[in-house]
Amino acid sequence: MTRRTPKASRARPTTVVVLRLYIAGGAPNSMQAIANLEAICAEHLKGGHRLEVVDILDNPRRAMADGVLVTPSLAKLSPLPAAQVVGNLSDKKRVLLALGLKPHGK
Amino acid sequence: MASDRGVASLPAGRVSSGLQRVLRQLPVGGLERRAIEAGEIDAVIDYGSANVIVFPAARRALRDTAKRSAAAERKATLEMPGRNSMLAALPRAEYLRLLPALEQVRLELGDVLHEAGAPIRHVYFPVDCVICLLTKVDSQRAVATGLVGHEGMVGIPLALEVGVSSVRAVVQVAGTALRMPAARFTNEFQRGLQLQRQLYRYAQFTLDQARQIAACIASHRFEQRLACWLLMIGDRAKSPEMLLTQVHLAAVLNVRRVSVTSASGSLRSRGLISYNRGRMSILDRKGLESASCRCYRPFEVADVA
Repeated sequence: MTRRTPKASRARPTTVVVLRLYIAGGAPNSMQAIANLEAICAEHLKGGHRLEVVDILDNPRRAMADGVLVTPSLAKLSPLPAAQVVGNLSDKKRVLLALGLKPHGK
Repeated sequence: MASDRGVASLPAGRVSSGLQRVLRQLPVGGLERRAIEAGEIDAVIDYGSANVIVFPAARRALRDTAKRSAAAERKATLEMPGRNSMLAALPRAEYLRLLPALEQVRLELGDVLHEAGAPIRHVYFPVDCVICLLTKVDSQRAVATGLVGHEGMVGIPLALEVGVSSVRAVVQVAGTALRMPAARFTNEFQRGLQLQRQLYRYAQFTLDQARQIAACIASHRFEQRLACWLLMIGDRAKSPEMLLTQVHLAAVLNVRRVSVTSASGSLRSRGLISYNRGRMSILDRKGLESASCRCYRPFEVADVA
């Protein structure tokens, strides 16, 4: 956090990261996943992303069509390669890797 | 993902058989299983039954959140300043049963709630608005034969098993009301003994009120009638200042506008009311009662509760 490496912290401005987060209503891990993801996106993507939140309690068929097994679950759809992270997204390093970004200080 | 934290998997005894089956189908050592063991998962999807199975802890949290928000909503309605007296007089259990069916609405001057001869779609419990009940006398004119405020309900015919309104219900003083769909009201009316008692008593009150107004129109000078009408509106409106246009007053009392101007001018010159650009305030209540005919009678708790 202390040293900011421009190369590592900046996503390419032309690339919009498309994300989809599957949650279960206002359940605790789902709420935490939203908060964690918003914090990560604000810090590392600076608005260069599009996030869709799908509530599987309202729309289970949509989640099934996408092959989701558990929630909360985050899918990176674009740019390729696609990636997936499950859980409340408290492991920031894992989320950054899935987004194709390098954590700070590495 | 904290899979290296070595957290044990969910205790089998507290997990439903359906959930256990779905958990068994997850790949061993896979992302999902590790996240479940770390306690980071709220729900799994059972592809066999196309259902979402929510984990017990998440289900409890969702239930608590729903309870809290329902309680907060109920508290807000319960504590709404100067709520409707008829609802307030109900036993708490009966009132709480009605609450989910009540919707708070804002009513503006001139809004028509019921049309004469048309089906009643909602009943209204005024909070700080006043509703005028008009009886049609010909194709053009209708005369006020009742007033409803926070003491009562608009839609009494439904309590007497009549689904069509006999009067036109128009908002005389804008404000808030709680409304309930007619079908739901009919159900609740059949279930709630205290609500039935209160509404039958109130139905008698409105009948007496209509008789008194009819007798008043036939017997008393307009200035007395206007004083009586203003006192009746004042009793029902919560604010000491009321928005009442002379045109509207003339229409509901079935007189020419000049009659309203002359009578209100007389009451104003005696310091009983103030009237300025459609804003009317009662300044001297006792004096206005003396200027009114004997048809004015303030409603009492016994009339409705």
